Amino acid sequence: MATERLVVVGGDAAGMSAASQAKRRNPGLDIIVFERGSHTSYSA
Amino acid sequence: MEEIDASGGKVRVRDLRSGHSGWEQYDQLLLATGAVPVCPDVPGADAVEICGVNTLQSGIELRRLLDDGNPRNGVVVGGGYIGLEMAEALVRRGMAVSLVNRSPEVMDTLDEDMGHLVSQALRDFGATLYLGETLIGFEIKGGKISGVVTDKRRLPADIVILGLGVRPHTELAVAAGIPLGEKGAIRVNERMQTGIDGIWAAGDCAESFNLVSHRPIYLALGTVANRQGRVAGINLGGGYATFPGVVGTAITKICEVEVARTGLQEKELRKLGIEWASAVIKSRTKAGYFPGAGEITVKVLAERGSGRLLGGQIVGMEGSAKRIDTLATALYAGFTVEEMINLDLGYAPPFSPVWDPVVTAARKAAKLV
Repeated sequence: MATERLVVVGGDAAGMSAASQAKRRNPGLDIIVFERGSHTSYSA
Repeated sequence: MEEIDASGGKVRVRDLRSGHSGWEQYDQLLLATGAVPVCPDVPGADAVEICGVNTLQSGIELRRLLDDGNPRNGVVVGGGYIGLEMAEALVRRGMAVSLVNRSPEVMDTLDEDMGHLVSQALRDFGATLYLGETLIGFEIKGGKISGVVTDKRRLPADIVILGLGVRPHTELAVAAGIPLGEKGAIRVNERMQTGIDGIWAAGDCAESFNLVSHRPIYLALGTVANRQGRVAGINLGGGYATFPGVVGTAITKICEVEVARTGLQEKELRKLGIEWASAVIKSRTKAGYFPGAGEITVKVLAERGSGRLLGGQIVGMEGSAKRIDTLATALYAGFTVEEMINLDLGYAPPFSPVWDPVVTAARKAAKLV
């Protein structure tokens, strides 16, 4: 089976919290985050 | 992102640098698209000097505008967290600052009696408040802003800050047929799943559940976003986690005055048809004789009959705001005000009077319910 892929839209508080938790739980998960601005979460 | 194809399990994304657009396949999709500032539908609202402050980038741009243009007159529209914090910042820069707010006091998330204390703190700091006034439009001269017009007056303005709140950013979710809930936020279950299989949502674009009113609520706060994101991430990583909801806790600081709120306020209780009693007490942030003790006002709302804690608000000097966490915890636990009297809270003169002000307020409320 191919690697499962998670796509996250938005790289601020919710998106980055989720991406980091998911990666910690399942290091094999392929995660892509899209963010329209030039900054990711800056206070989490 | 330009489009969600839920049945095909893919999203169309455009690279903003190259302009190139393409499809990305997903097995699971998390929407964390946040919120957008509410923009008034009035003439002149597109001028460069009218700024919302909702991202790091918008803050950087505003700072550049202030540093380069050295504006003299600042007008803040909206008396919530953003509006008040920006009004303070502009006064600190030496500008003449006016704040326009539709309600009779600033800080709508507090009851009017507590909001009044915050309005007064801002006036004492040097801002001019125009309360109970509605924005009509903006005056533009030579392509630049020159004034803000309310239903009662015209205020000169070189720069305008908008703090009219936010709305969930959900246009793409709507186009993909994802069901919405309270105030147009994406409806989610306790695990942060939307109504469409394989699509999740968290943060300012998603709905929450109010544990005090037992109703859905839209609450765009960073605290909620971090917690919802964590829950979504655990589930997406193969674990199991739930987000039970919020009690509505928020704190801020305006000049020297700390402001805190949790739970339901009087206008919400009225709408819900809940009978309540309010207790307001004034106390000190440290033992009264201790150097540096400041004033603190605590308001506690409790249900008549049952005595169930419904909410609380605090306005006071340093050491006031974080006391709301006692009330937030009691609310989450479903305590009555009577039960709060027996809480074993910390005391020493540098930190608190022997009766914590929050417990003093609960004691008063317990007599009234």
